[in-house]
Amino acid sequence: MMERTHRVRRRVAAAVSAVALVLPLTACDALTPGSAAAAPGPASVPSSTAVPDEDITLKLQFADAPLMVDALIAAFEKKHPRIGVEPQYKTFSDYVQNLKLTMTSDSAPDIAQYAVGMTDLAADGHILDLAPYREAYGWDDAIPPVSLDQLTAGQTSEATGGRALFGVPAGLSMTGIYYNKELARKAGIDGPPTTVAQFEEQLAAAKEADLTPLGVGALDSGGLHLWAALLNQTMPTDDYWDWVNGTRGATIETPAAVTAGELVIDWGRKGYYNESANGTAQVDSTAQFAKGDSVFLINGNWAAGQLATVMGENVGFFPMPGEQAADPTVASGFSVSYAVASRTEHPEAAGLFLDFLTSPEAGQIISDNGFLPPNPDAVKKPAGVLADIADGHRRAVADDGITTFPDFAAPAMLDRLRSGVQKLVADRIDPADYLDSLQDEWEEHHAE
Amino acid sequence: MPSRPPNQPAGGRRRSPYRGYVYVLPAFAVYFAFAVLPALHTAYLSLFEWDGVTLGDWVGLGNYQEIFQDSVLRQSVLNALVLVVFFSFVPIVLGLAMTGLLARFRRPGMGAYRFLFMLPQVVPLVAVGVTWRWLYGDDGLVNQTFRAVGLDGVTRAWLGDFGAALIAVGLVGTWVLSGLCMMLFLSGVQKVDPSLYEAARLDGAGPVREFVSVTLPHLRGELAVAMTVTTVAALASFDIVYVTTNGGPGEQTTVPGLLVYRLAFSEGKVGLAAALAVVLGCLILAIVYLINRLSRSET
Repeated sequence: MMERTHRVRRRVAAAVSAVALVLPLTACDALTPGSAAAAPGPASVPSSTAVPDEDITLKLQFADAPLMVDALIAAFEKKHPRIGVEPQYKTFSDYVQNLKLTMTSDSAPDIAQYAVGMTDLAADGHILDLAPYREAYGWDDAIPPVSLDQLTAGQTSEATGGRALFGVPAGLSMTGIYYNKELARKAGIDGPPTTVAQFEEQLAAAKEADLTPLGVGALDSGGLHLWAALLNQTMPTDDYWDWVNGTRGATIETPAAVTAGELVIDWGRKGYYNESANGTAQVDSTAQFAKGDSVFLINGNWAAGQLATVMGENVGFFPMPGEQAADPTVASGFSVSYAVASRTEHPEAAGLFLDFLTSPEAGQIISDNGFLPPNPDAVKKPAGVLADIADGHRRAVADDGITTFPDFAAPAMLDRLRSGVQKLVADRIDPADYLDSLQDEWEEHHAE
Repeated sequence: MPSRPPNQPAGGRRRSPYRGYVYVLPAFAVYFAFAVLPALHTAYLSLFEWDGVTLGDWVGLGNYQEIFQDSVLRQSVLNALVLVVFFSFVPIVLGLAMTGLLARFRRPGMGAYRFLFMLPQVVPLVAVGVTWRWLYGDDGLVNQTFRAVGLDGVTRAWLGDFGAALIAVGLVGTWVLSGLCMMLFLSGVQKVDPSLYEAARLDGAGPVREFVSVTLPHLRGELAVAMTVTTVAALASFDIVYVTTNGGPGEQTTVPGLLVYRLAFSEGKVGLAAALAVVLGCLILAIVYLINRLSRSET
């Protein structure tokens, strides 16, 4: 009897203490996730340029091209000795995964590299709208409009009434096809193709010559570049932009997108890819191509420096050609761009640094580091494969044909794209089902 | 807390039965602050739809509903159960076999042997994953070995092959956990009274008989520990999968741990991730409870 009341009492005590623990959790409003995340600091930037005259240190967090950033900072500090910039490098995946926590924390950097999650951060006021600076500094003249359009996060500017601007590009990227000139000659290929059909003939010729036609690293994001490159040719650019920007009613489930998926499957069936495309990471496919394992390689300009060093004159580059020879040049690309946190105490100094990125001096540093400067006219013409890329990029910009990467359509899109393209490469999914899975994700994210 | 419980004889030197708790308190406080509270907070977050930045919306059990309807998630749980075979069952069998072979004799060089098998335990799993990615690569050691012995038809991109990827990932786990199981069992064997082996040998028992009749029954406790540790490793697996395949090709190697990470950090669905983490935690607790229950009822 004693024993039993004891046990009951203990159980009651346990239950009471459990409730006592959980109750404050549920009752306290402050614990509601996100309730403490309101950003202090300015909501916008001044509408005039200013050089602050005090000693300032800006924190810059970034994920791409540390050598380039170091060189840019050194040049900037030389020009403005009273403003220091402290670089904080993170690897790309670390950077993207922690972006939201970083930018909403009290220790947010002043300047941060623009990445996928920035759209949400901009919508919630954690990133400064730079539109007033766009006028004041004249960035529209220094930067091609297509590069700035990628940085509006689909919003209008409260400060100017026009388009918002959430970053300034320093170094642009573009995807396309590299080719091994020596192997291409061996297969009887005499130059870059002018249509997709001609490219297919070249792939077939390479296969015929007992070579691996196209290197694809689909274990990570490399497969996505192949599909997107084909999609860029089949789908009207405006429709694609609508989809990536989340415009109401936009869809990826179009016959044009099905055609792109069918091409990926078809090329796989014909054995055009390296045998283990799905088991090869993008960097590994690049290394294999550099060794001469395939005639063509799908990748972006970020690989150009490495390939130029290893292969010298033996490597060339062309953007994926269109269906007709007269079609505009369209390629996926984005910029290594920098945004300013709303929590910064030095919006003037940050603006000054961003403006420096658009200068010819910065352009030369960017070009020397293998990236495309936002304003190519301001720099010396590069040589070799870098010249091929600069040329392709110039054509794409002139044709208004630089489209962002498809994973910008929704935060979860990258995972759907990656696993979906792997299935296309392995011929294990119907293109329509693949597009359906993308559209589901899109609708879930953009449903309002 | 009463200074003297009422049912204790007056003048007795027995201490309060609650006194022990005082000693446990510091450890409990730390544990509570860094394990229990975060777990409760996770459970609380699972009731919200939250992107990690803006104000969360209360959705009650909606996230749980979503989880049970998700086909990718169901496949990921199945994948994790397949991994249990490779992370738990195979290493335990291998560990037992090695114990049977090693426990009977004292040979020089045993220390080095144990060290070698323990090595995978010491290396961070991320490094293990990177290494195995190379081994499984196109021109990696695995394919080279098959080619060297004339089995060219077997070679493939192990981590990129829809049929082979999950098994390939599982075998990495086997490699990592076999040594741990062996060490556990070897230390268990050392508790066995040597006279038992002597007696068994005098009775004419061969190595197999000796293993089954003497070694195995004494390893029941170690077996339970090994099963618990390896099963949890399989169900909560993340690092090896993340580094080697990131869930691919397709969803062939996607496991719940990977989905929790993706949902929370790259997809901005923190509430859903928390709900999945809670479900995964409950599943693991249930299975661990079952293992302990079974191993206890056998003794």
